[in-house]
Amino acid sequence: MISVSQLSKKFGDLAVLKEIDFEVAKGEIVVIIGPSGTGKSTLLRCLNYLETPTTGNITIGPASIDALSHKAKDITELRKQSSFVFQNYSLFANKTALQNVAESLITVWKVPKQEALSTAEAILVKVGLAEKLNVYPSQLSGGQQQRVGIARAMAAKGEVILFDEPTSALDPEWVDEVLAVMKQLALEKQTMIVVTHEMQFAKEVADRVIFMEDGYIVEQGTPQQIFSNPEHERTKAFVKRALKQH
Amino acid sequence: MQSSFDLQYIIELMPILLKYLGVTMEMALWGFLFALILALGLALVRVFKIAFIQHLASLYISFFRGTPLLVQLFLLYYGFPQFMPIFVGMDAFTAAIIGLSLHFSAYMAESIRAAILGIDKSQMEACLSIGMTRLQAMKRVILPQASRVATPSLMNYFIDMIKSTSLAFTLGVAEIMAKAQMEASSSFKFFESFLAVAVIYWVVVIFFTRIQHLLEYKLNKAY
Repeated sequence: MISVSQLSKKFGDLAVLKEIDFEVAKGEIVVIIGPSGTGKSTLLRCLNYLETPTTGNITIGPASIDALSHKAKDITELRKQSSFVFQNYSLFANKTALQNVAESLITVWKVPKQEALSTAEAILVKVGLAEKLNVYPSQLSGGQQQRVGIARAMAAKGEVILFDEPTSALDPEWVDEVLAVMKQLALEKQTMIVVTHEMQFAKEVADRVIFMEDGYIVEQGTPQQIFSNPEHERTKAFVKRALKQH
Repeated sequence: MQSSFDLQYIIELMPILLKYLGVTMEMALWGFLFALILALGLALVRVFKIAFIQHLASLYISFFRGTPLLVQLFLLYYGFPQFMPIFVGMDAFTAAIIGLSLHFSAYMAESIRAAILGIDKSQMEACLSIGMTRLQAMKRVILPQASRVATPSLMNYFIDMIKSTSLAFTLGVAEIMAKAQMEASSSFKFFESFLAVAVIYWVVVIFFTRIQHLLEYKLNKAY
């Protein structure tokens, strides 16, 4: 359903992604791990075209795009196929929780307003924010904001939700409630690609773990393979260090 | 010759001057409305860096910020009709509104642009990530937030514009400044006449400053 081929991204002379190839099946939960600054977030941002890849091909559902010949319309179509959960939530500051979640339905999908609002309400109830529908982001805790962020991504009707270190900016006390929402989504077989440092989450929830370093996919496999029986030395070293911290 | 201060004269003059406040406010309100529309267009052209037009926008802003309002008004009202026949029939009132709009739009464009650029980049990214276009993002998320940031400085320009309408008397518009000038020259009570008109401007500005605070309070509710 998602297919990425020969994806490269350069910032000036610095190659951040080096001819990445990978595929994700419908309903699959993929967790990307690796040291900081190795292109994990850039890869995720390229999938949503928040970064423009230098070369390569991205297909998500019915939308397909080639970095060398993309048009503005292709980019919008590709973005409709995915949604993004940001490290710093990035909720629309001028809109209430409910309006944040309903926005894509109203503006992008042209759903009638009342219908969009009731869909948004149902999603917010699901992530445990029934009490906060009409509250502005500035009045929510970090954990609540990120749950609104996930709800907004859920509403956007994309094939896949991309999570860019969704718990990294949170105070420790809020991490669990956000992970709980993500686990619930995983149980519902929502296709997800998650960049995270939460190794426990990767172990429990991922169908597949991808280890990235220096702009390459070094190794990928089931959590069992990656955490207990990694093939590459670099994976081994990273996993050992990462698990020790938790 | 030294005369004593004539308070009675001021009290009698006030209602005469106030009759012309309507003309002043009409110029300011229309001028501000057109300036706002122009400024928004100019700011968006510069923010989106629209090829070619953005350089025209920069030139426009540079000219109208770089030359005095009075010179611009004279160019428009006395100068242009000599070259462009369509300006010949233009009355002074219209010319003043056009001149004020053009002049203030240049300043306001810069404060709107600064407000837009001041909104965190992540807000635009969040819009794009769910499939919105840049224009939709601008309309639904960025401009509403930028308007809150820009309101204090835009209101300052509005207040400045109210006072700048007094220059329209040099084109022959019968507004309060022109009326004060006329009354002063016939009564020779220059001090009283100009003091009266100053007080009127001041009270009007205080009124709109109040409105500015109410507006800011309302816009800040979400934050």
